[in-house]
Amino acid sequence: MKRWFPVALGLAAVGLALYPVQATGYGIRVMLQLFMWIALAQSWNLISGLTGYVSFGHVAFFGMGSYASSLLIVKAGWPWPVACLGGGAMAAVLALVIGWPCLRLKGPYFAIAMLGLNEVLRVIASYYEGLTGGGNGLSLPTLDASVQIYYAMGLVAAAVTVVTYFILTSRFGLRLMTIREDEVAAEAMGIDTLRYKLYAFLLSAAGPGIVGGLSARDQGYIEPISVFPLVMTITMIVMVLFGGKGTIWGPVLGATLLFAFQEAVWARFIYLHQLLFGAIIVAVVLLMPRGILGVLQQKYNLPRTI
Amino acid sequence: MSPILEVRGVIKRFGGVAAVNGVSLALEPGRIYGLIGPNGSGKTTLFNCITGVDQADEGEILFKGRRIERLKPHQIFHLGMGRTFQVIRVFPELTALENLLVVTTSGYSEARRRAQELLALVKLERLAEEFAGNLSYGQQKLVEFIRVLMTDPEMILLDEPAAGVNRTLLNELLDAVRRLRDQGKTVLLVEHDMKVVMGLCETVFVLDHGENLAQGAPGVIQADERVIEAYFGR
Repeated sequence: MKRWFPVALGLAAVGLALYPVQATGYGIRVMLQLFMWIALAQSWNLISGLTGYVSFGHVAFFGMGSYASSLLIVKAGWPWPVACLGGGAMAAVLALVIGWPCLRLKGPYFAIAMLGLNEVLRVIASYYEGLTGGGNGLSLPTLDASVQIYYAMGLVAAAVTVVTYFILTSRFGLRLMTIREDEVAAEAMGIDTLRYKLYAFLLSAAGPGIVGGLSARDQGYIEPISVFPLVMTITMIVMVLFGGKGTIWGPVLGATLLFAFQEAVWARFIYLHQLLFGAIIVAVVLLMPRGILGVLQQKYNLPRTI
Repeated sequence: MSPILEVRGVIKRFGGVAAVNGVSLALEPGRIYGLIGPNGSGKTTLFNCITGVDQADEGEILFKGRRIERLKPHQIFHLGMGRTFQVIRVFPELTALENLLVVTTSGYSEARRRAQELLALVKLERLAEEFAGNLSYGQQKLVEFIRVLMTDPEMILLDEPAAGVNRTLLNELLDAVRRLRDQGKTVLLVEHDMKVVMGLCETVFVLDHGENLAQGAPGVIQADERVIEAYFGR
């Protein structure tokens, strides 16, 4: 890694840490959402970018975290930071329960199973009105904590990125990649692929769970359609594919670029925005399936730890 | 000596086809065995049953006296049985070195030392940092071969090691197999190249239509009427 890179990273971190001092409430909310998307994209990258198991319902963990944290705040009276960690833990438990059977499925079957999981959770959240408020949603006590949530969201995004770095530079990470490369050979070479996939899945669920809780606390209100939307999973996937899957900075880059694009276009042209977003998906898949960093990697023979 | 690997009446069906139909083998340690037979005689399926990639429908497989027919491939591997594949299955987007490093359970520096040693053995140390997918066919074959040796398994199954490999490389590979035998390892190989089988193996098993057809020393097998008939027809 070049010498200037850690310096630039440090400066960016300091800048982001100081940002709330003079930022507007709107600015903080925008940056907080960017952090959220980085954490979500990076988490999806952990399971799907490394093992090749495409999770098409990853927002299920976000929604699980949202509901679990909100219920811990509303019904159990937990302080929100602890409740959000609880949401992450619940998402990880869900990943374990779902992953144990579903990670035996291959290719599109796993993707579809995850899609189904998300729909099922949404229906459950709508149905059990006594607990979740059903379709009426769940309101959290009012609280102005967007600066604290900004920092918390930033920490989660950084933490998932650091975890990705350590995984990618370890034999654990290499073994996850062997599953993507050739699962039969990985098994035959003594790698307990199911166990490795489960570990990766757990790790990839915890981040979205925490982020879901933070987002719920920030919004102050959740309902089934707002925390289990399919489009959120698709956005995560596109961000990672755009930036470069299986790398460290690809998801960060993809999330930042696409989020900035959305913010710039969304407010002004609501319909054009969806059209353009669809066009980007098609363009990435057709022209740049490896993403920005993937292309650079191949061209300049860069390590996968970019 | 008691056999290191024993296959007893193994049957494996795919739909209505019994690819392996009641095969039995017994392999003694420290020897090189060949497994031959016409296309579709069940050699690779038998390999897959032994290594856990496919599950046998019936029959028993014992490795070092232990039943393994219900174990998963990774468990069988850790009992000391390694294999290569008929179609090359290196991890293309991992470097040659990483292809080896993922295999062992030993410490990182120990694994690295062993990997360098094996790469040097097949003269690939210069290409250690190259993606395995960028190597030539023969080089990938070598990577797959030494990958099996990372954990020093007692038994090695090679599925067509000679296919698509040039003469020089092949001779090196065969020497390596003999050295493994001299270290006390047991080798079972599927091979179509009869010169390789006859020059290397001490005992040859012949399969036909998923059943045992014959077994014996290469010279005896070569002269066996039934074997000739299975290969060339009557």
